[in-house]
Amino acid sequence: MAELTGKERVMKMFKKEPIDRMPCFSGQGSVTIQAIEKMETQFSKIHNDPELMAGAALTSARMWDLDGLVIPYDMAAVAEAMGRGVSLYDAAEGIIYPTVPNKWKDLDEIDIPSNYMSQGRMPVIDKAFGILKKDAPDLAIGAWVLGPFTLGGQIMELDILLKGLKKKKDQIEAFLAQVTQVTIDMCKHYESLGVDFICVREMGSGTDLLSPRMWKTLIQPNLTKVFDAISVPSVNHICGSTDMIIEMMHECGADALSVDQKNNVVETRAKVGNDVLIFGNFDPYGTLTTLEDTAAVADVIKKCIDDGVDSVWPGCDIWPDVRKENMETYVQTVKEYGVKPSPAVKRI
Amino acid sequence: MATTKEEILEELIEAVVEYEEDDCKAAAQKVLDNPDLLTPMDGVLDGLAAGMEKVGVLFDTHEYFVPEVLMCADALYAGLDILRPHIKLEDEGPRASVVLGSVQGDVHDIGKNLVKMMFDIAGWEVHDLGRDVPLEDFVEKQLDTKSDVLAMSAMMTTTMLGMKKVIAMVKEKNPDCLIMLGGAPLTRDVANLFGADGYAESAGNAVSEGIKMIGSLRKYQKGDVPK
Repeated sequence: MAELTGKERVMKMFKKEPIDRMPCFSGQGSVTIQAIEKMETQFSKIHNDPELMAGAALTSARMWDLDGLVIPYDMAAVAEAMGRGVSLYDAAEGIIYPTVPNKWKDLDEIDIPSNYMSQGRMPVIDKAFGILKKDAPDLAIGAWVLGPFTLGGQIMELDILLKGLKKKKDQIEAFLAQVTQVTIDMCKHYESLGVDFICVREMGSGTDLLSPRMWKTLIQPNLTKVFDAISVPSVNHICGSTDMIIEMMHECGADALSVDQKNNVVETRAKVGNDVLIFGNFDPYGTLTTLEDTAAVADVIKKCIDDGVDSVWPGCDIWPDVRKENMETYVQTVKEYGVKPSPAVKRI
Repeated sequence: MATTKEEILEELIEAVVEYEEDDCKAAAQKVLDNPDLLTPMDGVLDGLAAGMEKVGVLFDTHEYFVPEVLMCADALYAGLDILRPHIKLEDEGPRASVVLGSVQGDVHDIGKNLVKMMFDIAGWEVHDLGRDVPLEDFVEKQLDTKSDVLAMSAMMTTTMLGMKKVIAMVKEKNPDCLIMLGGAPLTRDVANLFGADGYAESAGNAVSEGIKMIGSLRKYQKGDVPK
């Protein structure tokens, strides 16, 4: 039997069909500085040029032999398309991700334009997906969107949003319903572009910030609507503290759960059972950038697998400035140690 | 009806814990109206700060989360704004000072603002550079003010690396400056690697640690702001 392509491996895994080995990919940004340097460009330039955006993802995936890729790289695109501006830090030294400089400061100011899907860098992202569909038919092509609450925190000031959860509950609920529709519209748009999977990153909603009770009343219903609307394989990713909400995350209906290094995956696996796809959960900066011993990198990856993930995912975007040998060890360890079946996915 | 010192302090504490800004303002005004019972600094330390200590307990026991803490902080500031102008500074020597901000690339400032609150309560001279602050601005301000502490926050993994450069630049010229780092992606190992003197991993951690600082402060300081 011919070896599975990366796309086949990933898509079979999402269906929980037997595969040859654990796929190595992520729903978070996986572009690395080595790929950017090979393209002779800069990190700040890959966000607003479709050739560079697609090229950085594809060059990284080919360089490290990943099974999939994901674009875009920053969380500012939708807020920018709504007229909130973007800071790209062209002149700054080193790697800085784009941010939103002019968030709405009051609930009464919020006025989401109807044409945001065609504004700002949205057409750039569309074109980049077109390039990837043409140039990477063998790889799983992923999109990621912000969950409603996190998107809300990108277009309005987070402290106003957080305080509003308690003091202006009705207004905040109405606002979250509005941004939930934006998240759904983004997912449907990416589906229309032919993406293979969608990662919904509700990264600002862990219990570092919100109570489990608040999560149940304000986050879970909206995330459930989002996952109900997605037709392609979907991932519910939340970074930070998730142990207290993992069962509710599961109830939202995504095809897979993704958590970061703060989650106790052994306990999570016991709570949700062996039939649920779990991705995670290594610290990308602490593992791929700072560790100076590749044996330690391999240990981190092996622990994720031993704890019971079905795919080893970084807990956040891979910090682009990885050590080459660490990245190689990460991928190689997933391939070799991930030959054994994972809890939810058997092997061929 | 006669009012006692304990009653006024309890009103301040209650207003902070229940995040009632108007009640906190009213209780702070009562402090000023009753100089024979207590000083403005009593109101800050044994009322507002004591209330925030209770908030810290509620946070540590997962009864309160960040939204509640932010509202408690608003209530605290409502009272502090009334009391602070009436606190007398001692003449001798400068006040302790801090330069703080969120590093370039980071537009989040919740953790930074909670840490700022601790310094405000303690009566420090606070130079708040805001958020998305270019690295050179931290260095320039620290060297300009010769602050005792430089506190930097980064909520995103992607922005924390800037801290390392600032620490190196400041420590080279002013090795006595204590450097505090805060932010969700930080670990103690990373803070040590960067050469920092202290760290808080999140706004929540900042709340817990900061409130413990207030507790210590209240034990050792009565009657005036620290120098």
